[in-house]
Amino acid sequence: MGTVRMTQVTALVMRAVAAGHVYGFDVMEACALPSGTAYPALRRLEKAGLLRSSWEDADEAHALGRPARRTYHLTREGRTAMPQVEAKLAEARRLLGDLPGAPTGEA
Amino acid sequence: MGLRDAWIRLVSQLVPHDERAEWVREWRAELTVSGQGMAHAWGAVSDAWYLRTEGWTMDGMARDIRTAVRGLIRRPFFTALAGITLAVGIGANTAIFSVVDGVLLNPLPFPHSERLVSYNHEAPGLGINVPLIPHSEASYLYYSEHARSIEALTVFTETNVNLVGDGDPQRISAMYATHEYFTVLQRQPLVGRAFVEGDDVHGAEPVVILSEGLWQRRYGRDPSVLGQLLDIDGVMRRVVGVMPSGVSILSEEAWLAMQIDRTAAEAGSFSYIGAARLAEGATVEMADTEMHELLLRFAESSPDQFPEGALEEAGLDSDVKLLKEVFVEDIRPVLWVLLGTVGIVLLVACANVANLFLVRAEGRMREQAVRTAMGASRADMVRQYLTESVTLAAGAGLLGLALGSSGVRGLLTMVPAELPQALDIGIDGSVLLFTAVISLVSGLLFGVVPTLGYGRRDLSLELKDGNRSSTGGRSQLRARSVLVVAQVALALVLLVGSGLMLRSFHALRSVDPGFDTEGLLSFQVGLPSAEYGSPERTIDFHRQLEERLAAIPGAELVGAINGLPLTGAKSASPMEPADRPFGEDELAPIVEHRRVTPGYFATMSIPIVEGRSLEWSDQATEFLGVVVSQALARALWPGESPIGRGIRRAGGEQAWEIVGVAGDVRFDGIEDDPLPMLYEPLVRGTAEAPDLATSMDVVVKLSGDPLAAVQPAREAVRSIDPRIPIILPRTVESIVSDSMQATSFTVLLLGIAAGIALLLGTVGIYGVIAYVVSRRTAEIGVRMALGAPASLVLRRVVGQGAVLIGIGLGVGLIGSWALSRALASLLYGVTATDPLTFAGTAVILATVSLAATYLPARRAARIDPVEALRTE
Repeated sequence: MGTVRMTQVTALVMRAVAAGHVYGFDVMEACALPSGTAYPALRRLEKAGLLRSSWEDADEAHALGRPARRTYHLTREGRTAMPQVEAKLAEARRLLGDLPGAPTGEA
Repeated sequence: MGLRDAWIRLVSQLVPHDERAEWVREWRAELTVSGQGMAHAWGAVSDAWYLRTEGWTMDGMARDIRTAVRGLIRRPFFTALAGITLAVGIGANTAIFSVVDGVLLNPLPFPHSERLVSYNHEAPGLGINVPLIPHSEASYLYYSEHARSIEALTVFTETNVNLVGDGDPQRISAMYATHEYFTVLQRQPLVGRAFVEGDDVHGAEPVVILSEGLWQRRYGRDPSVLGQLLDIDGVMRRVVGVMPSGVSILSEEAWLAMQIDRTAAEAGSFSYIGAARLAEGATVEMADTEMHELLLRFAESSPDQFPEGALEEAGLDSDVKLLKEVFVEDIRPVLWVLLGTVGIVLLVACANVANLFLVRAEGRMREQAVRTAMGASRADMVRQYLTESVTLAAGAGLLGLALGSSGVRGLLTMVPAELPQALDIGIDGSVLLFTAVISLVSGLLFGVVPTLGYGRRDLSLELKDGNRSSTGGRSQLRARSVLVVAQVALALVLLVGSGLMLRSFHALRSVDPGFDTEGLLSFQVGLPSAEYGSPERTIDFHRQLEERLAAIPGAELVGAINGLPLTGAKSASPMEPADRPFGEDELAPIVEHRRVTPGYFATMSIPIVEGRSLEWSDQATEFLGVVVSQALARALWPGESPIGRGIRRAGGEQAWEIVGVAGDVRFDGIEDDPLPMLYEPLVRGTAEAPDLATSMDVVVKLSGDPLAAVQPAREAVRSIDPRIPIILPRTVESIVSDSMQATSFTVLLLGIAAGIALLLGTVGIYGVIAYVVSRRTAEIGVRMALGAPASLVLRRVVGQGAVLIGIGLGVGLIGSWALSRALASLLYGVTATDPLTFAGTAVILATVSLAATYLPARRAARIDPVEALRTE
């Protein structure tokens, strides 16, 4: 467990996970980030204790005809860090205009 | 599917071991589900790299480097030995690479130099060894007018001229060039103007442009020199401009506008080198194709110069190539071979340093065991080793850079080619990058060796057992054995290479050039044509010079020629027998012709095999006698005596009578067959329009040291005409050895490289065998206590070394066989796979390396069993 400096990338990833994107590739697509950027951000956030990951049940996944996937969720620390995330994103929006990956509807 | 899996498996090697399984599982699942093939697969590399480097903070790295430096300082002998070994290897590579970079890789320093081309002809069918067939005045005018794929064409020729004026007369190198010269190079003058159209027209005022160097040296950068008249070879030329330094493509210090009479352009003598600038969008191939077409039309339009079929027979064709090629094509193979050679030296150096590191790793086993016990992971230990080796390599790289940059300067004085001065050779960005990369790579290379097999070893044994873990010893021994094999193999490759070069050198040395060099001094004199324009004055000068030189103590014979053998002088025309003119479809041989004084043949010990030599009484415009070489006699009158027959320029009117036949001389290069030669008197032409030799190489045969006669020779010339300098006094011996410079240069450097490799290799073998003996002291002691004779112990230890050496020699022979082809173009009188050289060098290497195993083996045989067991 450590600390993480909130950057636009980590903030985007946090918001995507908070919005219910649980798989790495979904987060990546929701943020419109390349996989080589999204994954290291996930790793950093997990190490900092803002996210935790777990594996889906293999049998259930196979029943759906696919391999089990790793899922990412907010931890309690993650949830308390959400205002920071929104602040970071608001600041970025002010500087750069609309950002991708905003939650679309209620997820 | 398969590709994706293989990719993920490959990339996963980067991921730290404990996270790898999950990492593979996650990426496989995501890629499978996303179904997007390889689109996102690249990101896996960043992800894996992130995981690998997560723990690498700047802090951590600084700490590692500090530890490494401390460790290195604690062992100054080890550090100095390893560092110097590496620095020599890196320095040699830096020096050679900066020459390769400056000469082969960098473009010529002119704007858009990729459009600068050599625009000349080739004629492989003539069987003469010239890199290119240049232009005549007529061909230059023809191409200039018709070629569309080039912006501008210039022709030029380099010459030495006497510059007379205030102060001493001076001999300088100058370029005769047409007015497009600076247009083609795209260079602007520092002051004044460049050549303009009209400067090169017959009858225009003769002009000269000075180089910045000459302007500085002789005129102290005085701008008022512009507009002045200078006496250059007896012609008054007006100074119109000064060109900045870096414009000289050879070593010329002045440019003289060449004047061409456009109504009577000479067509027969091809003596001006052509250079052109490609038109926008044109390629070298386009220019070459166009030139080929133009050449055919030019030949049709001047049938007297090109008899039908001559083009085909000579294989005369266009030859357009990048201008730079002309300068570098001779030296290219030499440089690549040398770069390969120093690369091998660096590998041998790395192998040696790896060996030192292994020895050291051994000494540190306890330390490592303690650290492991305290929780250091294998990765930590490997990182520490690599930090240490890379830190050492970085230090060695800096030292190597210093060695290399001073080496470059030495190297450039030896480089066997006329390199354009404009080429910028030295340490620049790409050389720095190269040195940094080879330092890093060598650091990793020798640093990784001691870590191989590391961690598979049970280090707790080390703690219990002191230094006696036999398992650890075995994997170390294997690594060191591999190093020995590699060192022997690499050393053999270099020894074979230098052996082949040495044999070529020897073969060249034993070639008979056709003349004797002993006691010969040569120097050049140039007579200003304005004052020495008459046959009488020229002949008078040379007769007087001969008399005065002959009066020098020790002088035996004196002669002169306009262009000594092996000096690169060229002056050739096609010749034919006067009594049997060549038909339309026959090609006259290209004959080198020289003016000689009567004493030339005797002074050079060139035999007159038939007829007589030239006499002073022959030196007159009305005398039409010449001497031919045996090769020319054979070519024109095979099996017959040429004496009394007539010879003339192909298609010419005037015929000369052959009065003598001289022995063959190697003119072009010591490795090239003798050329057909024609020797004429100093004076030719008619009494009204005499054709005189102005610049002559004088040769004096002396009984003592030739160079001791330089000063008396200078005084002799001065006593006749104080304005005439003597140029380039040197022994004829040195001319011959200079002509072998490419070979001797390669021999020298390969020899040094092979010597270093042999030394390092021997030290490596000695180290390994000594190590084996020290590890087995106890065992050997027991054997001897049980009655094994010393001779058996000796045999067994030497045998162990012999096996490694044998394998190394085998690998080395195969490697040499594969690599020696690269040398083929540099060899003379020996093939690239010469069995004698291969066998000989293998025997030498085997002997030296067996001697290296013998010393520790003898120590083993003298082990006192009691002593050995006591140490246990």
